Amino acid sequence: MKFDNIIIGGGLSGLTCGIKLAEQGKKCAIVSSGQSAIHFFSGSFDLLGKVNGEEVTNPLESMKFLPQQHPYQRVGLENIERLTDEALHLLIRAGLSFTGKADRNHYTLTPMGVMKPTWLTLNDFTSFDQKDSFPWKKAVILNFSGFLDFHTLFIKDGLKKFDINAQIKNVSMKQFEAIRKNPSEMRSTNIAKEFDKGNAIEEFAQKANLLSEGFDVVILPAVFGLFNKSVADQLKEKINKPVLLLPAIPPSVPGIRSQITLRERFQELGGTYLLGDNVEEGIFEDGRLLEIRTNNHGDIKFEADQFILASGSFYSKGIVATHDKLYEPIFGLDIDGDNNREEWFDEKFFNDQAFMRYGVKTDENFRALMNGEPVQNLFVAGSVLGGANPLKEGSGAGISLLTSLHAAEQILK
Amino acid sequence: MNKNRSKEYDVIIIGGGATGAGTARDCAMRGLSVLLVERHDFATGATGRNHGLLHSGARYAVTDHESAAECIEENMILRKIANHCIEENDGLFLTLPEDDIAFQSQFVDACSSAGISTEIIDPKLALQMEPSANPDLIGAVRVPDGSVDPFRLTMSNALDARLHGTDILTQHEVTDILKEQDRVIGVELFDHGKKEKVNYYGKIVCNAAGIWGHHIANFAGVNINMFPAKGSLLIFGHRVNKMVLNRCRKPANADILVPGDTICLIGTTSERIPIEEIDNMYVSKDDVDVLIREGVKLSPSLATTRILRAYAGVRPLVAADDDPSGRSISRGIVLMDHKERDGLEGFVTITGGKLMTYRLMAEEATDLICKKLSVDKKCETASIPLPGSEKSEETLSNAGNKIYTGASITQKSAKDRHGSLAHKIANGDSNEDSMVCECEGVSIGEVKYAINELHVNNLIDLRRRTRVGMGTCQGELCACRAAGLLCESMEEAGKAKDDLANFLQERWKGMSPIAWGETINEIQFTSWIYEGIYGLKPENN
Ligand SMILES: Cc1cc2nc3c(=O)[nH]c(=O)nc-3n(C[C@H](O)[C@H](O)[C@H](O)COP(=O)(O)OP(=O)(O)OC[C@H]3O[C@@H](n4cnc5c(N)ncnc54)[C@H](O)[C@@H]3O)c2cc1C
Ligand SMILES: Cc1cc2nc3c(=O)[nH]c(=O)nc-3n(C[C@H](O)[C@H](O)[C@H](O)COP(=O)(O)OP(=O)(O)OC[C@H]3O[C@@H](n4cnc5c(N)ncnc54)[C@H](O)[C@@H]3O)c2cc1C
Repeated sequence: MKFDNIIIGGGLSGLTCGIKLAEQGKKCAIVSSGQSAIHFFSGSFDLLGKVNGEEVTNPLESMKFLPQQHPYQRVGLENIERLTDEALHLLIRAGLSFTGKADRNHYTLTPMGVMKPTWLTLNDFTSFDQKDSFPWKKAVILNFSGFLDFHTLFIKDGLKKFDINAQIKNVSMKQFEAIRKNPSEMRSTNIAKEFDKGNAIEEFAQKANLLSEGFDVVILPAVFGLFNKSVADQLKEKINKPVLLLPAIPPSVPGIRSQITLRERFQELGGTYLLGDNVEEGIFEDGRLLEIRTNNHGDIKFEADQFILASGSFYSKGIVATHDKLYEPIFGLDIDGDNNREEWFDEKFFNDQAFMRYGVKTDENFRALMNGEPVQNLFVAGSVLGGANPLKEGSGAGISLLTSLHAAEQILK
Repeated sequence: MNKNRSKEYDVIIIGGGATGAGTARDCAMRGLSVLLVERHDFATGATGRNHGLLHSGARYAVTDHESAAECIEENMILRKIANHCIEENDGLFLTLPEDDIAFQSQFVDACSSAGISTEIIDPKLALQMEPSANPDLIGAVRVPDGSVDPFRLTMSNALDARLHGTDILTQHEVTDILKEQDRVIGVELFDHGKKEKVNYYGKIVCNAAGIWGHHIANFAGVNINMFPAKGSLLIFGHRVNKMVLNRCRKPANADILVPGDTICLIGTTSERIPIEEIDNMYVSKDDVDVLIREGVKLSPSLATTRILRAYAGVRPLVAADDDPSGRSISRGIVLMDHKERDGLEGFVTITGGKLMTYRLMAEEATDLICKKLSVDKKCETASIPLPGSEKSEETLSNAGNKIYTGASITQKSAKDRHGSLAHKIANGDSNEDSMVCECEGVSIGEVKYAINELHVNNLIDLRRRTRVGMGTCQGELCACRAAGLLCESMEEAGKAKDDLANFLQERWKGMSPIAWGETINEIQFTSWIYEGIYGLKPENN
């Protein structure tokens, strides 16, 4: 099979890159072995939340303090603003709606009650301008009886910082009786599926309205709208108080919906999406990648002019660690990281862990290095790139979006 | 400071390891009024940091006849009184090509003189019995080794002690020994929960603090020559072997592979450490490498089996009084009447020994305490089963049947963990049956039972009681669910958040020495969930 471009990995960066290329008329394929980080998504895309331990208010401004090997620096600070704009519009065209700006972080409330700086927040969720005030006085936290994955007491405790004494109430829904019978079924996605069917929403909204009398805001777990994209909006319409959704224990319902939305956009643009297939190896000639082989397709070769590696970090197996080395499992690309495992970790779990910065080495144009030489037509994007600790910086989605658009631009040049 | 002397116990026992819990049970069964104090939680010392090998004694047969004989006797007793804590797996002592096969007959002779039954097994047959064993083996001997769950064993002793009237204080650290002239009269405790000091008084204070007995003795103004020997172990993510595997040679590093529940353990290394380091239980890269290298010789498939955690413990070894250099260290039971030894009345130390011999240690200590108090009552712990161990219709030790499916999974797993006490766990109600930890099959009912009945103060305690967060997911999501439940019962959410952060740190300690492969992937994922999405920080309050 022959394509213009083949993308390895169907996470946020693979999908954005694929959409961008397909929008420009390229014949693209995405091969993705499985779940990606966006399935666990908080609801916000981060650009830059912290530099050198200091909280950032204007990410575009603060990027100049990042080290030279940081992906944003390598993309070129002069390109960042344009790429952030482009990313937002690409996401909007795909059907996702957000609030947020690249030159000014806003805040979202985490389930521990912490205000976290971020860039784009999915419209399901609430964005706050201030980190030290909460716009409502009386809050009620509603949970479904028997749902263990929403931490009402932690939220209540977090709200105390804003002098809010929230009340917790449970809602019993007969629609969930069947899933409650099985001890491990009462989870976000199964609740979301019940709401997707459409019949529970009316009743739930009525109960929520009764229980929220006398309160200014209703706090609920974000379990609305898995495949049915209108559920979250319907809910907000039917509940006559402002609704504040907060993440439950993953997987994330809005995250899965976002992933599906992006995938559908890619497919509508004519892209080929191969899910559940694993890229196993590549055939190289004269410093170029000619074709790749996948697990499901055996001897069928996948050829393309350019390839993009967007296979994620350790958790997606884009990088693999054994007791004595780090490697990139598909092609054996060069790794930016230490092979001595004593260097990987800090003894304190919440400290900056060195392994978070490890990734595939590239040249200045984000072409993968193999034995020190760039592979002419293999670009690298997203969290498989090293050079940053996106968790500590709050830069996860930003790096994925901007590096994948940058790679697409290199290809389209 | 609280000066309330209204209540004086017959005996105050320091240390919630197997020895302390066992001694509390024995004392209480003989009618004494008992206070058991533990600075952290049950089984947080050496008791929770060993192989969990139910020694037949074979390992010591050649080098230490007395220990071997003690082991086999206690082995047979524990099978009767603690069957819910034990898996009767049997063990094989393997001779590999690099070992001297001549050792085998010496070994078999020594076993039989210690009363340990042996059976020489043809290598081919041995491989059929234990397919995970190294196929190059040239000899195998079967012995009555087994596995013991030290957490459950300690808890059962503590529970029974409580049923017999013992007062229990966990999270209470002895910070001084109270004396009047040449007599110990009580203990000064620091309550880690309330952050305050309290005094308790007793006619006898029994030091069962394992290696920390060194400090306790110092508080009392006496000296015990402790020689801390650190040992590291690795836990593998699934159960590779059915039987305990040993090397048929003189005891050496990393030559025991013990199966237990759904996992197996390889250990141990042995290293003298200074007494100042006994609270700093790190596992070095070299330790890990040795354990893997040697473990793979016993069972080659360990090379590709995922390692869940690494941990280390300190053996409470004691040097003979006339040998302060520690050349002739005893591995046997050490019981000291400090009246005889140091002229200090009301103070007793029980240490040394093994997990295997905890009951015998408790018996000897209690005999001495009773003698001092002029109480004349016989020890019954060798014949009266521990709670949870009473005969039940099913045998619980059959590991082969441990893969459960369907809705009854939680009841069955709970039964494995709590034996016949499992009926105390509410079930049959969809609320109580809801699963907190999927890979270990822990229900809400079980978590609540542990919180209400088993002295659970935090998530780490909860893990010791219920295995929440012990399985392959290593506490990623179940820890958060359990934190929610714990939080409900404590009504103190701020503390529960800190507790969750501590739990993650504690897990990290065990994982960081072996964090490659799936483990590093999961650690990265866990960090994103808790720190990235939840916004959890080590100092939430
Ligand atoms: C649990 C979690 C939650 C996160 N939440 C947020 C958040 O809320 N906000 C934020 O800004 N950032 C978040 N991040 C950071 C996240 O890493 C980035 O935001 C971004 O989603 C990463 O996208 P990616 O496409 O680079 O990688 P991934 O999402 O990891 O995608 C890589 C894909 O490649 C596939 N793949 C790997 N190897 C192969 C192969 N050989 N063949 C075929 N396919 C392969 C994988 O299956 C996977 O689908 C989170 C990360 C994690 C792990
Ligand atoms: C690596 C290793 C492997 C082993 N393998 C085996 C084996 O396979 N089989 C076997 O039978 N034995 C084995 N042992 C030996 C066995 O673990 C110990 O002998 C036994 O557990 C000791 O129990 P204990 O109750 O005396 O001490 P501990 O379990 O150490 O208990 C002492 C308790 O005292 C508490 N404490 C300390 N200071 C204070 C204070 N100031 N105030 C209040 N409480 C305090 C501690 O927190 C601790 O809980 C092994 C030991 C090690 C280290």
